[in-house]
Amino acid sequence: MREVVCKKEDIEPGKMRSASLGKIPVVVCRTKDGEFYAYANRCLHQGAPLSEGALCGDTKRTDIHGNYEYIRDGEILRCPWHGLEYDIKNDGCMLAEPEKKLRSFNVTIEDEHVVLYK
Amino acid sequence: MAQKSIKKGKKQRRIIDTDIHERATYAELVPYLDNPWRRYITDNHWIQEKHMPYTQPTVAGVDRADAVTPDGGAAGTDLAFMQEQLLDAEGHEYGILTGALDPSPSSMHGWYEMGAALATAYNNWQIENWLEKDDRLYGSVHIAAQDPQQAVREIERVGSHPKMVQILLPIDTRSWGDPYYHPIFEAAERHNLSIGMHHNEPPTHFGGWPRYFIEWHTMLPTAHMIEVSNMVFNGVFDKFPGLSLIMIEGGFTHAPHLMKKMDQQYKELRHEIPWVKRMPSRIMQEHVRFTTQPVEEMTEKEFMQYMDQMGSEDMVCFATDYPHWDYDSPLEALPKLGETLEEKIYAENARASYPKLPQMQGSVLT
Ligand code: FES
Repeated sequence: MREVVCKKEDIEPGKMRSASLGKIPVVVCRTKDGEFYAYANRCLHQGAPLSEGALCGDTKRTDIHGNYEYIRDGEILRCPWHGLEYDIKNDGCMLAEPEKKLRSFNVTIEDEHVVLYK
Repeated sequence: MAQKSIKKGKKQRRIIDTDIHERATYAELVPYLDNPWRRYITDNHWIQEKHMPYTQPTVAGVDRADAVTPDGGAAGTDLAFMQEQLLDAEGHEYGILTGALDPSPSSMHGWYEMGAALATAYNNWQIENWLEKDDRLYGSVHIAAQDPQQAVREIERVGSHPKMVQILLPIDTRSWGDPYYHPIFEAAERHNLSIGMHHNEPPTHFGGWPRYFIEWHTMLPTAHMIEVSNMVFNGVFDKFPGLSLIMIEGGFTHAPHLMKKMDQQYKELRHEIPWVKRMPSRIMQEHVRFTTQPVEEMTEKEFMQYMDQMGSEDMVCFATDYPHWDYDSPLEALPKLGETLEEKIYAENARASYPKLPQMQGSVLT
């Protein structure tokens, strides 16, 4: 199955939008370095639409209590409800439980268009 | 009163949602206030003291990120949008409004005169803008409980409104079993109102605020446990046998532990509280209800273990907490529990604990 979502420039780096592939709701994310990723637009927890959440960063894991470092801005997809986080550059793995992951879809750029494949 | 029917093809389930937050802005309340109270908001820029020592490190503060109203307003300020996103979408039979968090007349520090005025304004605003505009919505009486005489006057004033079903009490330094509050319970019984506890006031723990929001949010049930044991051991339910208590937004999985613990303590120490005449767990089974939200992810087996330990399937009521970030979906939050128990949790337990909700007769609503 193939679906043309929009023009490439319609999704700026660091932004996302909802789309569908056949009947499947999809969220298309573009990282700050310009790469596109597409995942099922349904949170694994209670099914919230992820595209209503935020593309944000993470705080770096540390051994030092009280140490904060903000990293990976624009690479973490965070749910609009309870805030579960998914790593869009790493196959949609949940940060808290990496063995759980979002269903991913292939996305390519064809003639400056964003195209989804299943 | 306009109501849309449930979307076609949607799984039908009777839902009585025991925690929905409508929100008043300060500007909306002003017309409902007399001077000098109005002036303290408009001229002196009064806002309620509500500060947590942390941000809410969520996607959109206290709210679901997708609950912002279509015109960009704060979540919970727009009845039409709430109808569309919650009541119609999920097919609610009834929902119980539990108030805004700020301003929240049910929880005032110190300035009870302002609290009482705000409660009156809030109740009038709630009735006019929500309760009388949607048949499905029922309300909570806001009071400044720290001044019980004023509070009783407010209960007498609006408590008999057909759509007011409970009185909200604050979580504060004085726990609710204290005889200080008993006139409020007496008024509640007189008007067939339940007592609801919701942390409109952010409950602090003994020992003050923990360092992180994740600690505070995890330990919310401790504030609930304190109030329940305080009410039971201070004999509130022996003195007011018609009273029911709904513990809102503390979840329910702490309840089995509390019941077991209190029973054991009762066996060992009951002579200290001779006015309590039955096992605490029996009292709780009869008078205390817990809402599900914010529920932990559970399998059916895990869920049923909690039910078994409570010794009752009547004590748990479903709540979404819409529009807040820790909202629970009526179709996704709980495991499958079988038709009978689901009917109880999603609707009938709440119907039984709020005597003013329309009751079922056979399969017909009255
Ligand atoms: S539904 Fe996404 S975090 Fe709960």
